[in-house]
Amino acid sequence: MIMIAYYVITAFLLVLVVWNFVREKERRQDLVLYLLVAVPLLLRLLRWK
Amino acid sequence: MTKDTLLKPALAAAAVGLVLWGGLPLLRHRRFDVPVVKGPGVTAVLRLSEFSPGLEGTVADTNVYVLEGREPGGKVLLMGDTHSNEPEGMLTAVIFVENARVEKGTLYVIPFFNNSASRNTRAGDGYPLYFDIATDWGAQRFRFGNRDASPLDQWPDPDVYIHYPERQLLSYIDVRNTNRTWPGRANGPLMEKVTFGAMELMRREKVDVAIDIHGAETMFPVTNCIVAPEKSVKIATLASLTVKAAEGFENHVEPSPAGFRGLSHREIGDHGPSLPFLLEAPIPFLDQPTGPKTVKLLLDGKDPFLLSLSKKKKLFVPYDESGWSLEKRVGQNLSVSLEILRQFTKKTADRAITVRGVPRYAEVVKAGVGHFLADPAKAPAGDVVMN
Repeated sequence: MIMIAYYVITAFLLVLVVWNFVREKERRQDLVLYLLVAVPLLLRLLRWK
Repeated sequence: MTKDTLLKPALAAAAVGLVLWGGLPLLRHRRFDVPVVKGPGVTAVLRLSEFSPGLEGTVADTNVYVLEGREPGGKVLLMGDTHSNEPEGMLTAVIFVENARVEKGTLYVIPFFNNSASRNTRAGDGYPLYFDIATDWGAQRFRFGNRDASPLDQWPDPDVYIHYPERQLLSYIDVRNTNRTWPGRANGPLMEKVTFGAMELMRREKVDVAIDIHGAETMFPVTNCIVAPEKSVKIATLASLTVKAAEGFENHVEPSPAGFRGLSHREIGDHGPSLPFLLEAPIPFLDQPTGPKTVKLLLDGKDPFLLSLSKKKKLFVPYDESGWSLEKRVGQNLSVSLEILRQFTKKTADRAITVRGVPRYAEVVKAGVGHFLADPAKAPAGDVVMN
Protein backbone atom coordinates (compact mmCIF):
# COMPACT_ATOMS: atom_id res chain seq x y z
CA MET A 1 0.00 0.00 0.00
CA ILE A 2 2.73 2.45 0.97
CA MET A 3 4.51 1.79 -2.35
CA ILE A 4 1.32 2.65 -4.26
CA ALA A 5 0.99 5.83 -2.19
CA TYR A 6 4.53 6.82 -3.15
CA TYR A 7 3.75 6.31 -6.84
CA VAL A 8 0.66 8.52 -6.44
CA ILE A 9 2.81 11.20 -4.76
CA THR A 10 5.35 10.91 -7.59
CA ALA A 11 2.63 11.33 -10.21
CA PHE A 12 1.25 14.34 -8.33
CA LEU A 13 4.69 15.98 -8.19
CA LEU A 14 5.19 15.33 -11.88
CA VAL A 15 1.87 17.00 -12.69
CA LEU A 16 2.91 20.01 -10.60
CA VAL A 17 6.26 20.27 -12.38
CA VAL A 18 4.70 19.95 -15.83
CA TRP A 19 2.01 22.48 -14.91
CA ASN A 20 4.68 24.96 -13.80
CA PHE A 21 6.61 24.31 -17.00
CA VAL A 22 3.54 25.06 -19.12
CA ARG A 23 2.64 28.19 -17.14
CA GLU A 24 6.15 29.67 -17.00
CA LYS A 25 6.41 32.64 -19.37
CA GLU A 26 9.50 34.58 -18.45
CA ARG A 27 12.34 32.74 -16.74
CA ARG A 28 14.00 30.43 -19.22
CA GLN A 29 16.34 28.93 -16.63
CA ASP A 30 13.31 27.78 -14.62
CA LEU A 31 12.01 25.92 -17.67
CA VAL A 32 15.21 23.89 -17.74
CA LEU A 33 15.07 23.26 -14.01
CA TYR A 34 11.45 22.02 -14.18
CA LEU A 35 12.43 19.50 -16.85
CA LEU A 36 15.49 18.31 -14.93
CA VAL A 37 13.33 17.72 -11.86
CA ALA A 38 10.81 15.85 -14.02
CA VAL A 39 13.36 13.33 -15.36
CA PRO A 40 13.75 11.12 -12.23
CA LEU A 41 10.03 11.35 -11.51
CA LEU A 42 9.25 10.18 -15.02
CA LEU A 43 11.83 7.36 -14.85
CA ARG A 44 10.26 6.10 -11.63
CA LEU A 45 6.69 6.30 -12.98
CA LEU A 46 7.76 4.39 -16.10
CA ARG A 47 9.45 1.88 -13.74
CA TRP A 48 12.71 2.16 -15.66
CA LYS A 49 14.86 3.37 -12.74
CA MET B 1 6.56 31.20 -34.78
CA THR B 2 8.84 33.15 -32.48
CA LYS B 3 11.95 31.88 -30.82
CA ASP B 4 10.09 31.73 -27.49
CA THR B 5 7.22 29.62 -28.78
CA LEU B 6 9.72 27.13 -30.13
CA LEU B 7 11.71 27.06 -26.91
CA LYS B 8 9.31 25.03 -24.76
CA PRO B 9 8.74 22.21 -27.29
CA ALA B 10 12.48 22.05 -27.95
CA LEU B 11 13.31 21.79 -24.25
CA ALA B 12 10.57 19.20 -23.68
CA ALA B 13 11.89 17.14 -26.61
CA ALA B 14 15.41 17.33 -25.15
CA ALA B 15 14.10 16.10 -21.79
CA VAL B 16 12.27 13.20 -23.43
CA GLY B 17 15.47 12.38 -25.32
CA LEU B 18 17.38 12.42 -22.05
CA VAL B 19 14.87 10.03 -20.46
CA LEU B 20 15.11 7.64 -23.41
CA TRP B 21 18.90 7.83 -23.62
CA GLY B 22 19.38 7.25 -19.91
CA GLY B 23 16.41 5.02 -19.21
CA LEU B 24 16.24 2.51 -22.05
CA PRO B 25 19.59 0.81 -21.25
CA LEU B 26 18.41 0.44 -17.66
CA LEU B 27 15.12 -1.05 -18.81
CA ARG B 28 16.92 -3.51 -21.09
CA HIS B 29 19.26 -4.49 -18.23
CA ARG B 30 16.29 -5.07 -15.93
CA ARG B 31 14.67 -7.35 -18.50
CA PHE B 32 17.86 -9.20 -19.55
CA ASP B 33 17.70 -12.88 -18.63
CA VAL B 34 20.72 -15.12 -18.09
CA PRO B 35 20.53 -18.70 -19.42
CA VAL B 36 21.70 -21.49 -17.15
CA VAL B 37 21.98 -25.02 -18.53
CA LYS B 38 20.68 -27.81 -16.32
CA GLY B 39 23.73 -29.97 -15.70
CA PRO B 40 23.85 -33.75 -15.35
CA GLY B 41 22.99 -33.58 -11.65
CA VAL B 42 19.92 -31.34 -11.80
CA THR B 43 16.77 -33.27 -10.90
CA ALA B 44 14.29 -30.40 -10.45
CA VAL B 45 13.99 -26.63 -10.69
CA LEU B 46 11.77 -25.03 -8.05
CA ARG B 47 10.83 -21.43 -7.36
CA LEU B 48 11.60 -19.76 -4.05
CA SER B 49 7.94 -18.68 -3.91
CA GLU B 50 7.05 -22.31 -3.22
CA PHE B 51 8.54 -21.67 0.22
CA SER B 52 7.51 -18.01 0.55
CA PRO B 53 4.20 -17.47 -1.31
CA GLY B 54 4.47 -13.68 -1.03
CA LEU B 55 7.21 -13.77 -3.68
CA GLU B 56 4.99 -15.24 -6.37
CA GLY B 57 4.70 -12.96 -9.39
CA THR B 58 7.39 -10.56 -8.14
CA VAL B 59 10.85 -9.87 -9.56
CA ALA B 60 12.30 -11.17 -6.29
CA ASP B 61 11.15 -14.73 -7.00
CA THR B 62 14.06 -16.87 -8.17
CA ASN B 63 15.02 -20.37 -9.31
CA VAL B 64 16.11 -23.07 -6.88
CA TYR B 65 18.03 -25.87 -8.62
CA VAL B 66 17.75 -29.25 -6.94
CA LEU B 67 20.51 -31.84 -7.46
CA GLU B 68 19.36 -35.01 -5.73
CA GLY B 69 21.96 -37.73 -5.38
CA ARG B 70 21.56 -41.43 -6.19
CA GLU B 71 21.87 -42.25 -2.49
CA PRO B 72 20.28 -40.40 0.42
CA GLY B 73 22.49 -38.30 2.65
CA GLY B 74 22.86 -34.77 3.93
CA LYS B 75 21.44 -31.64 2.35
CA VAL B 76 23.16 -28.42 1.33
CA LEU B 77 21.94 -24.99 0.26
CA LEU B 78 24.32 -22.90 -1.88
CA MET B 79 23.50 -19.24 -2.54
CA GLY B 80 25.14 -16.78 -4.94
CA ASP B 81 24.25 -13.14 -5.76
CA THR B 82 23.07 -12.33 -2.25
CA HIS B 83 24.97 -9.21 -3.22
CA SER B 84 24.71 -8.91 -6.98
CA ASN B 85 27.83 -6.76 -7.34
CA GLU B 86 29.87 -9.76 -6.12
CA PRO B 87 29.49 -12.05 -9.15
CA GLU B 88 31.98 -14.70 -7.96
CA GLY B 89 29.17 -16.08 -5.79
CA MET B 90 26.72 -16.36 -8.66
CA LEU B 91 29.35 -17.92 -10.98
CA THR B 92 30.33 -20.44 -8.32
CA ALA B 93 26.67 -21.44 -7.99
CA VAL B 94 26.21 -21.66 -11.78
CA ILE B 95 29.29 -23.90 -12.08
CA PHE B 96 27.77 -26.20 -9.44
CA VAL B 97 24.45 -26.33 -11.34
CA GLU B 98 26.06 -27.00 -14.72
CA ASN B 99 28.77 -29.47 -13.61
CA ALA B 100 27.95 -31.19 -10.33
CA ARG B 101 26.98 -34.86 -10.11
CA VAL B 102 25.72 -35.69 -6.64
CA GLU B 103 26.36 -39.22 -5.45
CA LYS B 104 25.09 -38.88 -1.89
CA GLY B 105 22.77 -36.28 -0.46
CA THR B 106 21.01 -33.33 -2.07
CA LEU B 107 22.18 -29.91 -3.22
CA TYR B 108 19.86 -26.90 -3.44
CA VAL B 109 21.46 -24.10 -5.46
CA ILE B 110 20.14 -20.54 -5.81
CA PRO B 111 22.48 -18.68 -8.20
CA PHE B 112 20.50 -15.40 -8.22
CA PHE B 113 19.43 -15.13 -4.60
CA ASN B 114 18.64 -11.40 -4.75
CA ASN B 115 17.14 -11.42 -8.23
CA SER B 116 15.89 -7.85 -7.86
CA ALA B 117 19.40 -6.58 -6.97
CA SER B 118 20.83 -8.37 -9.99
CA ARG B 119 18.50 -6.21 -12.15
CA ASN B 120 19.56 -3.03 -10.34
CA THR B 121 22.72 -0.97 -10.82
CA ARG B 122 24.73 1.77 -9.10
CA ALA B 123 24.81 4.51 -11.71
CA GLY B 124 26.54 6.97 -9.38
CA ASP B 125 29.55 4.68 -9.12
CA GLY B 126 29.67 4.10 -12.88
CA TYR B 127 28.91 0.40 -12.60
CA PRO B 128 28.83 -1.55 -15.87
CA LEU B 129 25.45 -3.13 -16.61
CA TYR B 130 26.87 -6.41 -17.95
CA PHE B 131 30.06 -8.43 -18.07
CA ASP B 132 31.11 -11.11 -20.54
CA ILE B 133 32.95 -14.30 -19.66
CA ALA B 134 35.07 -15.82 -22.42
CA THR B 135 34.18 -19.50 -22.83
CA ASP B 136 35.26 -22.35 -25.12
CA TRP B 137 32.22 -21.62 -27.35
CA GLY B 138 32.15 -17.79 -27.29
CA ALA B 139 31.25 -15.23 -24.66
CA GLN B 140 28.50 -15.56 -22.11
CA ARG B 141 26.91 -12.34 -20.92
CA PHE B 142 25.76 -11.83 -17.33
CA ARG B 143 23.95 -8.97 -15.62
CA PHE B 144 26.07 -6.99 -13.21
CA GLY B 145 23.84 -5.86 -10.38
CA ASN B 146 23.98 -3.93 -7.16
CA ARG B 147 24.34 -4.77 -3.48
CA ASP B 148 20.71 -3.89 -2.76
CA ALA B 149 17.38 -4.74 -4.35
CA SER B 150 15.89 -2.28 -6.80
CA PRO B 151 13.64 0.41 -5.32
CA LEU B 152 11.31 -0.45 -8.21
CA ASP B 153 10.51 -3.65 -6.33
CA GLN B 154 10.62 -2.41 -2.74
CA TRP B 155 9.91 1.26 -2.07
CA PRO B 156 10.16 3.46 -0.03
CA ASP B 157 13.06 2.85 2.36
CA PRO B 158 12.38 3.56 6.03
CA ASP B 159 14.44 6.14 7.96
CA VAL B 160 15.90 3.25 9.96
CA TYR B 161 15.54 -0.46 9.25
CA ILE B 162 14.32 -2.23 12.38
CA HIS B 163 15.51 -5.80 12.12
CA TYR B 164 12.98 -8.59 12.63
CA PRO B 165 12.78 -10.21 15.16
CA GLU B 166 15.65 -8.71 17.18
CA ARG B 167 14.57 -5.07 16.65
CA GLN B 168 18.19 -3.97 16.21
CA LEU B 169 18.42 -0.64 14.38
CA LEU B 170 20.20 -0.99 11.05
CA SER B 171 20.94 1.41 8.21
CA TYR B 172 17.85 2.40 6.20
CA ILE B 173 19.28 0.89 3.01
CA ASP B 174 19.69 -2.54 4.61
CA VAL B 175 15.96 -3.09 4.24
CA ARG B 176 16.87 -3.96 0.61
CA ASN B 177 20.00 -5.95 1.52
CA THR B 178 19.40 -9.71 1.65
CA ASN B 179 22.35 -10.09 3.97
CA ARG B 180 20.64 -8.00 6.64
CA THR B 181 17.06 -9.24 6.35
CA TRP B 182 17.59 -12.76 7.69
CA PRO B 183 15.67 -14.67 9.01
CA GLY B 184 12.87 -12.73 7.33
CA ARG B 185 9.11 -13.12 7.66
CA ALA B 186 6.29 -14.19 5.37
CA ASN B 187 4.53 -10.81 5.45
CA GLY B 188 7.52 -8.47 5.78
CA PRO B 189 9.13 -6.25 3.15
CA LEU B 190 9.96 -8.06 -0.10
CA MET B 191 13.59 -8.82 0.82
CA GLU B 192 12.45 -10.33 4.13
CA LYS B 193 10.18 -12.58 2.07
CA VAL B 194 13.26 -13.70 0.08
CA THR B 195 15.25 -14.68 3.17
CA PHE B 196 12.13 -16.18 4.75
CA GLY B 197 11.80 -18.40 1.65
CA ALA B 198 15.34 -19.69 2.09
CA MET B 199 14.76 -20.24 5.81
CA GLU B 200 11.58 -22.19 5.06
CA LEU B 201 13.44 -24.29 2.49
CA MET B 202 16.09 -25.11 5.10
CA ARG B 203 13.53 -25.87 7.79
CA ARG B 204 11.20 -27.99 5.63
CA GLU B 205 13.93 -29.92 3.81
CA LYS B 206 16.10 -30.23 6.93
CA VAL B 207 19.13 -28.73 5.24
CA ASP B 208 22.38 -29.49 7.08
CA VAL B 209 24.76 -26.95 5.55
CA ALA B 210 24.08 -23.46 4.13
CA ILE B 211 26.80 -21.68 2.16
CA ASP B 212 26.31 -18.02 1.23
CA ILE B 213 28.97 -16.91 -1.27
CA HIS B 214 30.23 -13.33 -1.39
CA GLY B 215 33.14 -11.11 -2.36
CA ALA B 216 34.68 -8.40 -0.14
CA GLU B 217 37.00 -5.45 -0.55
CA THR B 218 40.74 -5.97 -0.15
CA MET B 219 40.72 -3.06 2.34
CA PHE B 220 38.02 -4.73 4.45
CA PRO B 221 39.34 -6.98 7.24
CA VAL B 222 36.63 -9.61 6.72
CA THR B 223 37.91 -10.83 3.37
CA ASN B 224 39.52 -13.97 2.03
CA CYS B 225 37.79 -15.96 4.72
CA ILE B 226 34.94 -18.11 5.94
CA VAL B 227 32.61 -16.38 8.39
CA ALA B 228 31.12 -18.91 10.77
CA PRO B 229 29.15 -18.88 14.02
CA GLU B 230 29.99 -21.09 16.98
CA LYS B 231 28.09 -24.12 15.64
CA SER B 232 29.99 -24.10 12.30
CA VAL B 233 33.40 -22.96 13.41
CA LYS B 234 35.08 -26.38 13.71
CA ILE B 235 34.18 -27.37 10.16
CA ALA B 236 35.11 -23.91 8.89
CA THR B 237 38.51 -24.08 10.57
CA LEU B 238 39.27 -27.53 9.19
CA ALA B 239 38.15 -26.46 5.70
CA SER B 240 40.24 -23.29 5.86
CA LEU B 241 43.39 -25.06 7.04
CA THR B 242 42.97 -27.84 4.48
CA VAL B 243 42.62 -25.59 1.43
CA LYS B 244 45.53 -23.48 2.64
CA ALA B 245 47.78 -26.51 2.99
CA ALA B 246 46.58 -28.57 0.04
CA GLU B 247 45.73 -25.90 -2.54
CA GLY B 248 48.07 -23.09 -1.56
CA PHE B 249 45.77 -20.09 -1.24
CA GLU B 250 45.28 -17.94 1.83
CA ASN B 251 42.05 -18.40 3.75
CA HIS B 252 41.09 -17.87 7.36
CA VAL B 253 38.06 -18.05 9.64
CA GLU B 254 36.24 -15.05 11.07
CA PRO B 255 33.76 -15.50 13.92
CA SER B 256 30.18 -14.44 13.28
CA PRO B 257 29.43 -11.66 15.80
CA ALA B 258 26.44 -12.57 17.97
CA GLY B 259 25.42 -8.93 18.40
CA PHE B 260 25.20 -8.00 14.72
CA ARG B 261 21.84 -9.14 13.44
CA GLY B 262 20.37 -9.92 10.06
CA LEU B 263 23.38 -11.63 8.50
CA SER B 264 23.09 -15.10 6.99
CA HIS B 265 26.01 -16.51 9.00
CA ARG B 266 24.23 -15.47 12.22
CA GLU B 267 20.50 -15.89 11.65
CA ILE B 268 20.49 -19.15 9.62
CA GLY B 269 22.07 -20.98 12.52
CA ASP B 270 19.99 -19.23 15.19
CA HIS B 271 16.63 -19.78 13.50
CA GLY B 272 16.99 -23.12 11.73
CA PRO B 273 18.71 -26.47 11.70
CA SER B 274 21.50 -25.63 9.24
CA LEU B 275 25.17 -24.91 9.82
CA PRO B 276 25.83 -21.56 8.12
CA PHE B 277 29.01 -20.52 6.34
CA LEU B 278 29.63 -17.24 4.52
CA LEU B 279 32.52 -17.19 2.05
CA GLU B 280 34.35 -13.99 1.20
CA ALA B 281 36.81 -13.76 -1.71
CA PRO B 282 38.72 -10.49 -2.28
CA ILE B 283 37.20 -8.41 -5.11
CA PRO B 284 39.23 -5.26 -5.88
CA PHE B 285 36.35 -3.81 -7.92
CA LEU B 286 34.48 -3.08 -4.68
CA ASP B 287 37.29 -1.12 -3.05
CA GLN B 288 36.73 2.63 -2.94
CA PRO B 289 40.17 3.96 -3.96
CA THR B 290 40.40 2.35 -7.40
CA GLY B 291 40.40 3.65 -10.95
CA PRO B 292 37.21 3.53 -13.04
CA LYS B 293 34.79 0.70 -12.30
CA THR B 294 35.31 -1.13 -15.57
CA VAL B 295 34.55 -4.69 -16.66
CA LYS B 296 38.32 -5.20 -16.96
CA LEU B 297 38.79 -4.32 -13.28
CA LEU B 298 35.93 -6.64 -12.38
CA LEU B 299 37.50 -9.53 -14.29
CA ASP B 300 41.25 -9.15 -13.65
CA GLY B 301 41.21 -7.27 -10.35
CA LYS B 302 44.26 -5.23 -11.36
CA ASP B 303 44.40 -1.65 -10.10
CA PRO B 304 47.43 0.65 -9.74
CA PHE B 305 46.00 2.48 -6.71
CA LEU B 306 45.46 -0.73 -4.80
CA LEU B 307 48.95 -1.83 -5.78
CA SER B 308 50.33 1.35 -4.27
CA LEU B 309 48.27 0.83 -1.11
CA SER B 310 49.48 -2.76 -0.91
CA LYS B 311 53.08 -1.55 -0.86
CA LYS B 312 52.11 0.65 2.09
CA LYS B 313 50.56 -2.40 3.78
CA LYS B 314 47.06 -0.95 3.76
CA LEU B 315 45.35 -4.06 2.37
CA PHE B 316 44.20 -7.14 4.22
CA VAL B 317 45.26 -9.55 1.46
CA PRO B 318 48.47 -10.10 -0.49
CA TYR B 319 48.25 -8.00 -3.66
CA ASP B 320 50.74 -7.63 -6.52
CA GLU B 321 50.82 -6.87 -10.26
CA SER B 322 48.81 -10.03 -10.99
CA GLY B 323 45.75 -8.48 -9.27
CA TRP B 324 43.01 -10.70 -7.95
CA SER B 325 41.29 -12.27 -10.92
CA LEU B 326 37.78 -13.66 -11.20
CA GLU B 327 39.35 -17.08 -11.77
CA LYS B 328 41.07 -16.96 -8.39
CA ARG B 329 37.92 -15.75 -6.64
CA VAL B 330 35.61 -18.34 -8.17
CA GLY B 331 38.26 -21.06 -7.76
CA GLN B 332 38.61 -20.25 -4.07
CA ASN B 333 34.87 -20.31 -3.54
CA LEU B 334 34.56 -23.68 -5.28
CA SER B 335 37.39 -25.27 -3.34
CA VAL B 336 36.25 -23.91 0.02
CA SER B 337 32.64 -25.01 -0.64
CA LEU B 338 33.75 -28.52 -1.61
CA GLU B 339 36.04 -28.69 1.41
CA ILE B 340 33.24 -27.66 3.77
CA LEU B 341 31.12 -30.50 2.35
CA ARG B 342 34.01 -32.96 2.74
CA GLN B 343 34.67 -31.92 6.34
CA PHE B 344 30.95 -32.10 7.16
CA THR B 345 30.80 -35.61 5.66
CA LYS B 346 33.83 -36.72 7.71
CA LYS B 347 32.19 -35.44 10.87
CA THR B 348 28.64 -36.65 10.14
CA ALA B 349 28.91 -39.87 8.16
CA ASP B 350 25.17 -40.66 8.31
CA ARG B 351 24.45 -37.34 6.53
CA ALA B 352 27.20 -37.68 3.92
CA ILE B 353 27.26 -35.36 0.91
CA THR B 354 29.37 -36.51 -2.03
CA VAL B 355 29.68 -34.29 -5.10
CA ARG B 356 31.69 -35.03 -8.25
CA GLY B 357 32.47 -33.02 -11.37
CA VAL B 358 32.99 -29.61 -9.76
CA PRO B 359 36.40 -28.05 -10.52
CA ARG B 360 38.68 -26.84 -7.77
CA TYR B 361 40.91 -23.77 -7.46
CA ALA B 362 43.89 -24.86 -9.58
CA GLU B 363 41.68 -26.09 -12.44
CA VAL B 364 39.69 -22.84 -12.60
CA VAL B 365 42.81 -20.65 -12.42
CA LYS B 366 44.38 -22.69 -15.23
CA ALA B 367 41.41 -23.14 -17.57
CA GLY B 368 39.34 -20.06 -16.72
CA VAL B 369 35.81 -19.71 -15.40
CA GLY B 370 34.32 -19.86 -18.90
CA HIS B 371 35.71 -23.34 -19.51
CA PHE B 372 33.19 -24.67 -16.98
CA LEU B 373 30.16 -22.87 -18.40
CA ALA B 374 27.85 -24.85 -20.69
CA ASP B 375 26.74 -23.59 -24.11
CA PRO B 376 22.99 -22.87 -23.99
CA ALA B 377 22.81 -23.16 -27.81
CA LYS B 378 23.98 -26.77 -27.70
CA ALA B 379 21.91 -27.85 -24.71
CA PRO B 380 18.91 -30.13 -25.32
CA ALA B 381 15.56 -28.39 -25.55
CA GLY B 382 14.11 -27.83 -22.11
CA ASP B 383 17.48 -27.90 -20.39
CA VAL B 384 18.05 -24.15 -20.57
CA VAL B 385 16.52 -22.21 -17.70
CA MET B 386 16.32 -18.44 -17.94
CA ASN B 387 17.19 -16.46 -14.84
